[in-house]
Amino acid sequence: MTLKEWARKRSIWVFDVNAASCNGCDIEILDAFTPRYDVERLGIVLVPSPRHADVLLVTGTVNAMMKDRLKTIYEQMSEPKYVVAVGACALGGGVYKGCYNVGHGVDKVIPVDLYIPGCPPRPEAIIYGIMKLVNGEPPDPKEEE
Amino acid sequence: MGAGLIEYSPENLVPFGPVHPSLKEPEYFRLVLEGEKIVEVHPRIGYVHRGIERAAQDRTWVKNIYLFERICGICSFAHSLAYTEGTESLTEFQIPARARYLRLIIAELERIHSHLLWLGLVGYWTGFDTLFMWIWKDREHILDLLEGITGNRVHKSFSTLGGVRRDLTPGLISTLQEETKFVTKRAKYYEELVHSEETLISRTRGVGKLTKEIAEKLCPVGPLLRCSGIERDVRKEDPYAAYDAIPPEVKTSKAGDVESLLSIRLEEVIDSCRMVSEALQHLPEGPVRIPFPRIIPRGDAFFHVEAPRGELFYFIRSNGSAKPERVKIRTPTLANLLTAAELLKGRVLADVPVVLTGIDPCFGCMDRITIVNVDKSKKWSVSGEELRVYGIEYYKRKAGKN
Amino acid sequence: MIEEELSSIASGLSAKISKAKKSYILEVSPDKVKDACEKVSQLNGYYHLSTITGTDTGESISVMYHFWRGKVFITVKTDVPKSRPHIPTISSVLPSSLLYEAEVKDLLGVTFDGNPLMGTRLLLPDIYPEDAPPPLTKEADPEKIRKMMELE
Repeated sequence: MTLKEWARKRSIWVFDVNAASCNGCDIEILDAFTPRYDVERLGIVLVPSPRHADVLLVTGTVNAMMKDRLKTIYEQMSEPKYVVAVGACALGGGVYKGCYNVGHGVDKVIPVDLYIPGCPPRPEAIIYGIMKLVNGEPPDPKEEE
Repeated sequence: MGAGLIEYSPENLVPFGPVHPSLKEPEYFRLVLEGEKIVEVHPRIGYVHRGIERAAQDRTWVKNIYLFERICGICSFAHSLAYTEGTESLTEFQIPARARYLRLIIAELERIHSHLLWLGLVGYWTGFDTLFMWIWKDREHILDLLEGITGNRVHKSFSTLGGVRRDLTPGLISTLQEETKFVTKRAKYYEELVHSEETLISRTRGVGKLTKEIAEKLCPVGPLLRCSGIERDVRKEDPYAAYDAIPPEVKTSKAGDVESLLSIRLEEVIDSCRMVSEALQHLPEGPVRIPFPRIIPRGDAFFHVEAPRGELFYFIRSNGSAKPERVKIRTPTLANLLTAAELLKGRVLADVPVVLTGIDPCFGCMDRITIVNVDKSKKWSVSGEELRVYGIEYYKRKAGKN
Repeated sequence: MIEEELSSIASGLSAKISKAKKSYILEVSPDKVKDACEKVSQLNGYYHLSTITGTDTGESISVMYHFWRGKVFITVKTDVPKSRPHIPTISSVLPSSLLYEAEVKDLLGVTFDGNPLMGTRLLLPDIYPEDAPPPLTKEADPEKIRKMMELE
């Protein structure tokens, strides 16, 4: 079953993990739930526990304290599960590359299905990314209005 | 944001379970309870520790601007302003007046956006979701302005060594004037709203009362310091950018509780709108940037700015080369942490989200809190989200009983 | 005014005074730090300790206590040798210094005798290797530390 078919039975529930980020990407993710961007009309809901989530949004360079916790959170999710790396830090360390306490990307710790670049990515980019994950190809621009 | 981690282990089948002796993961806040009251608070930060001070020694002076502004996504301009002005003070160059006014405008716009963000989060944590949605919708106006002026909503990279990177166009100036009037009107409406809404009043009035004695002992900064009655603001006492020409009106309160923090921050929003509009009226002509050398002369610089959360301190040491020798940063949240721990003592668990949000924390959220109950010899972990729901239910029950 | 007050403090503690741009600097030996900070904090009735900075200067670690007063800073500065990096804590008289001292201990390895947080870690991760030098010292190599903590 693809995520799209499975999503038709229930909407996408996302869980946001801040793995040592500056909070910029987290604020933009939370912004996507506010009235101007309103991602909830697409059925996407922010949940408080990884056990209820389908998609894990990870922001930040994964530093030494967060490495094992991120693995634990990933293991707590039930299948099918997808991981989205949001922001330049989650992609490859961002501007902190070379610092003694940071990792260089989320995909060094857990498998990632989608990357959303930006520092931070706009809420529209985050919505576009998640819909791309769900639909598998770019959605029709008119649908997003 | 605010969504945390719930640890379900075999022994902890219900959220408030028995002792879990192998719980050796690092906790963020450890609260020790006796009965219902909190008696001790132990903070453990380090979740967002990235090693930036060490990395700054390997990057040139200009590259460090982009590193430091990403310390925090909410007050990023305050960091770049403190760093650029601090480094410029090691030289004898005079920054053009127009650049100093533009720095003031962006700094105040950032203060408005940060306070509105915080106010929305207070609504979120107390169960008042409508307030959260409305305020964040109004905040989009400010983010549009910031994007129009600087090119980015969050990490603006506006201030640089020698001035600012971009200038204001006449169209932007008139838009700024209109939008500041709009934000002032909305802030006045919210100020009436927060003092008349029952849910907020019951959660914030008398909660987290900071007295002058504690404030003098523990040295908090920012609105948290001013809510205890002490009038101290870096912009007024030690002006930088264009604050000597356009000083702020420092807002204080004698009440010291979270409700007074709501008032102070909203009044600061209105004052910031006033300052932006005055700066636009008196904007001097001239260049916005001067050429700056690659090598900074030897010396030590001590600089601080008033970030939205409080005093942000930078110590910059140059050894006469193209890279700094030492940069030390003290964020305002670290200065307020001890005060937050002190304010939590004697309160019930349901007040934890509100008191902690009251100090306006800027670390990766209160995403993990461990609670040790001395009476019942129990130890368990909660997430910020669980505490939020617990707090809302607790106060609903309390209101139902009255 | 402030120069006279600082001179009298300095002569009482056999300290050196200098001025660097925005800050008066009071150089004392490590055992006199507590007295110096207490006296500076009592100037004019109020004090605000901005932070405590540590820097590695090669042979020693320089620890600076920054006090904010009006338009200037007053910095109490001391040097501890790397062979024996111990300073008495000031947290018994100035409680706001608790976390700042813990930070300097984590990042530079200076022990503040009497500070209750000396046995715990404030900033550094738990997996930071015990035998690695503190991260902000000149001996620390970020690449090596990353390999020791298995960060890719």
